[in-house]
Amino acid sequence: MSETIEPPFKKAKMAETIDDFIQQIMLSKKNLQAVVSDEFIKPGAFTKVYVGQVKNVKELSKIITILNEKIPLKELQHLKRARKKEVLLCPVQSLNSITQESIQEYVEEKVYELKDSFEYFKIMGLPSLPPKLKKQHTEYSRVWSCNFHPNEYLEKLCGNDFFLEPELMKHRCYMAIAFEVARYYLSERNSNLQLSDILLRDINATVVVDPSIDSIVAISFDNRENHPVQHSAMLAIDNVAKTQNGGAWNTSTCSEDSPLPGIDNNLVLYLKNKFANVKFGARNYVTKEVLDENRMNASDSPYLCTGYYIYMIREPCIMCSMGLVHARANRVFFCLYNNRQGALISKTKLHCVPSLNHHFEVFTEFL
Amino acid sequence: MVEFMKRALELASEALSAQEVPVGCVFVINSEIIAESRNSVNATHNPTRHAEINCIDQVIDYCKTNNIDYSMYFKNITVYVTVEPCIMCASALSNLNIKEVVYGCANDRFGGKTVLDISNFYECNYNLIGNLMATEAMALLKQFYKGANPNAPESKAKKEKV
Repeated sequence: MSETIEPPFKKAKMAETIDDFIQQIMLSKKNLQAVVSDEFIKPGAFTKVYVGQVKNVKELSKIITILNEKIPLKELQHLKRARKKEVLLCPVQSLNSITQESIQEYVEEKVYELKDSFEYFKIMGLPSLPPKLKKQHTEYSRVWSCNFHPNEYLEKLCGNDFFLEPELMKHRCYMAIAFEVARYYLSERNSNLQLSDILLRDINATVVVDPSIDSIVAISFDNRENHPVQHSAMLAIDNVAKTQNGGAWNTSTCSEDSPLPGIDNNLVLYLKNKFANVKFGARNYVTKEVLDENRMNASDSPYLCTGYYIYMIREPCIMCSMGLVHARANRVFFCLYNNRQGALISKTKLHCVPSLNHHFEVFTEFL
Repeated sequence: MVEFMKRALELASEALSAQEVPVGCVFVINSEIIAESRNSVNATHNPTRHAEINCIDQVIDYCKTNNIDYSMYFKNITVYVTVEPCIMCASALSNLNIKEVVYGCANDRFGGKTVLDISNFYECNYNLIGNLMATEAMALLKQFYKGANPNAPESKAKKEKV
């Protein structure tokens, strides 16, 4: 036995002050993690199928040709028809359960010429859906051979090193700014603000960035105490609208000379002072008429939140997440989980609902 | 019920004339309309300005002006809206604990029931009734989508065809 006594496992030191916490968010080299659809991370479903053991291997290719013609695999196309001497015949549910049809009877009915080709039949559970990731492909291949088209982007997105360090540090910086925004507004109401006031209260702060010019386009802080719909993402969407000759909520109490509509100019000065290298302001908005007149492309003008990155201190609720879908945000980054109402990982993954017309990417794990 | 939906349909037609997605909505308490609005997404350049959100804003303003506790006020509201509320609006209405939603046609693109049933995420849910004058509501939508959304940027595919 070794005589050295291991020190007790040290938990990563959790920041105690707001400053420490924001520093940790900003300077940590830990990569972010994409929140991806369950189909990439949860074990896949299996479909019960009949498999026949071929008597004579020399007939295998002929049998496959006949089967492909007479009993096509339809939704199981991702499965190879044969593995060694075993041939995939059909899903168990293809058989008539009322007449208690046997697989031998089924084969005789569908492909009479193959009625004596099989030594025996067995039932196997095979993957219902095609593998999307190399990891899944390897796993599925242990059971049966599958057709697989690797998608390099998806592999990277599901991996642990998606962002290169320079880009990672940008995301961390914008997230730190979102926390500074929360600190700024909350300390207006509470002069003795503690870290727990930011981490535990049901509030949110949002920073909207146009990555094409690496500039902050809009900032917002929660106003749900006064107005139940004015969660920070909803306010951020409206503040973005204000950079595009629009907007619905009256925020005229904010200073006119602010480079960002809808927020306090003092906050911008505070942030400029703290983050000297960060830029503020949106690209010029060009109306559709002017775009057409000058034969410019639609991409020459910002449109809603198209292409924008959204940084939020907390996972947005269902309303806000759907608002961001409507706004066509490109990526959403959040730091804290919203166990009660979060719609991007906690309660559901709204960005993975296939029937929606727009899907943004979601990243988290700043801590 | 029908009279309120008829009013909502009028508002939806108004939206159509203004080149907005034709959805109209009225909020009702004790058979009296207390707020009414329509989609104003294109005018505001804010994609969240759906008819229901506009009505919520009206109610909040009214409550603030008259010193009414809005959280109590919303509990008695029945919403008549020509199209099933989207996931965002359904959540907003659920957060406010409103009493009931009556809609015209289903919303198979964004519906807060049809596309993603948000009632799974809330402990309390409003009563939801569909299919009141659905044909009329759908006819308006069809008319809108026949012409392209004038505010959406022209897609590359479309441009190349020209």
